[in-house]
Amino acid sequence: MRLELEAKSFGPRQVLGPLALLVARGERVAILGPSGIGKSTLLRILAGLDADFRGRLKGADRLAPVFQEPVLLPWRDAVANITIPTGCDAATARDWLAQVGLAGHEAKFPRQLSLGQQRRLALARAFAAGPDILLMDEPFASLDADTAARMLALTAALLTRSGAGLVLVTHDPAEAAALDARVLHLAGQPAQLQKD
Amino acid sequence: MAQLPKPSALRPGLVPGVLSILTLVLIWTLASQLTDRPQTLPAPWHVAARIGRLAATGELWFNAGMTLFRVAASFALAMAAGVALGLWMGRSRAVDHWLNPATIILLNVPALVVIVLCYIWIGLNETAAILAVALNKIPVVTVMVREGTRALRPDLGDMARAFRMPPLRRLRHVVLPQLAPHLASAARAGISLIWKIVLVVEFLGRSNGVGFKIHLLFSSFDVTGVLAWALAFVAVMLAIDLFLLRPWERRANRWRQDAA
Repeated sequence: MRLELEAKSFGPRQVLGPLALLVARGERVAILGPSGIGKSTLLRILAGLDADFRGRLKGADRLAPVFQEPVLLPWRDAVANITIPTGCDAATARDWLAQVGLAGHEAKFPRQLSLGQQRRLALARAFAAGPDILLMDEPFASLDADTAARMLALTAALLTRSGAGLVLVTHDPAEAAALDARVLHLAGQPAQLQKD
Repeated sequence: MAQLPKPSALRPGLVPGVLSILTLVLIWTLASQLTDRPQTLPAPWHVAARIGRLAATGELWFNAGMTLFRVAASFALAMAAGVALGLWMGRSRAVDHWLNPATIILLNVPALVVIVLCYIWIGLNETAAILAVALNKIPVVTVMVREGTRALRPDLGDMARAFRMPPLRRLRHVVLPQLAPHLASAARAGISLIWKIVLVVEFLGRSNGVGFKIHLLFSSFDVTGVLAWALAFVAVMLAIDLFLLRPWERRANRWRQDAA
């Protein structure tokens, strides 16, 4: 996946300056920066959710997002929350549920799960899509320290097992280190990428 | 799948509901006994007897069936067109700017005008009848679905797009479940409006159906007959609401109640 971004503006305000980002399958990249710098905007561009920018986005990689919030279908049970968005079969969905420690919760609806469980369900959904690259937007924010640590360890293990790459957006350098990701800083006005 | 909705869901309000209907019948009985002209307000049992006779001859079933067919056809047409237009207008500001004036005009054209124009332009036939009713209802459904579409959760839309969900699957699993409450209220508000307009359409230009029968009875000032047909059909529509629309609405909203 290759992004050559010339500029991204909201109205008259240019948020992201010229920057280039190259991520291959199996490669892990963490984009660090303070809140409001444009990290999420950059991730939305990578995910193909925001096409309103100057520049080029290339790559036929399969991408799968993990958002800040779990973003599940409230009217579907856990298995269907994986099979419907990703198109995988129910057996694969059950398998991924088991891998994130949600075995036994297959028939539950999202609101019957705790927030931590909902996040693990969102993680299972992303891996079930069989992604080349996982796109994660502050997925460990708003979790208590214990849960966040467990989620981090789980994510690292699943990344290694599946061989998927990662673009992680976060403000916490410790998360990048725990996931063994190459660190890029987003800084400046308009923001540009800088090596560590 | 979860268990069926509990049968007790019908119970609350059942006793006051039945009592309030009985009170209405009682007032009707008293009024009919106080008036000295039974033609103006016949007693409930006379009307009931007439309904019985109409049912026995089969006349009731044929004409109520025709009316019900027109209700169903125009309801389906109005819901399909209204949902499509509402989704389109809710999604796109530009489309909304273009179609909103027409919607408001159509909302405010009296039903009678639409019916008369349809009969004149298309002819005194079934197509004109069903189209006239549907045209009266389409803007109402459109507006309700448009409001629902504007309230769609953007995060779920992003999720669907990021996972590259195909459009039909997105519509079925992401959009329609969010619209379900709006669709249910549009359907329930729609069905009662539609059957009233269907009677007018039949009154003006059809040779069967409940509205046509009421037309005949009106020319002979037969109040017993008018009430018999009207009440029989109200019962049919109530049954549809109770046994078709409400259970569907409950099913569509089931996931909301499924707390841990």
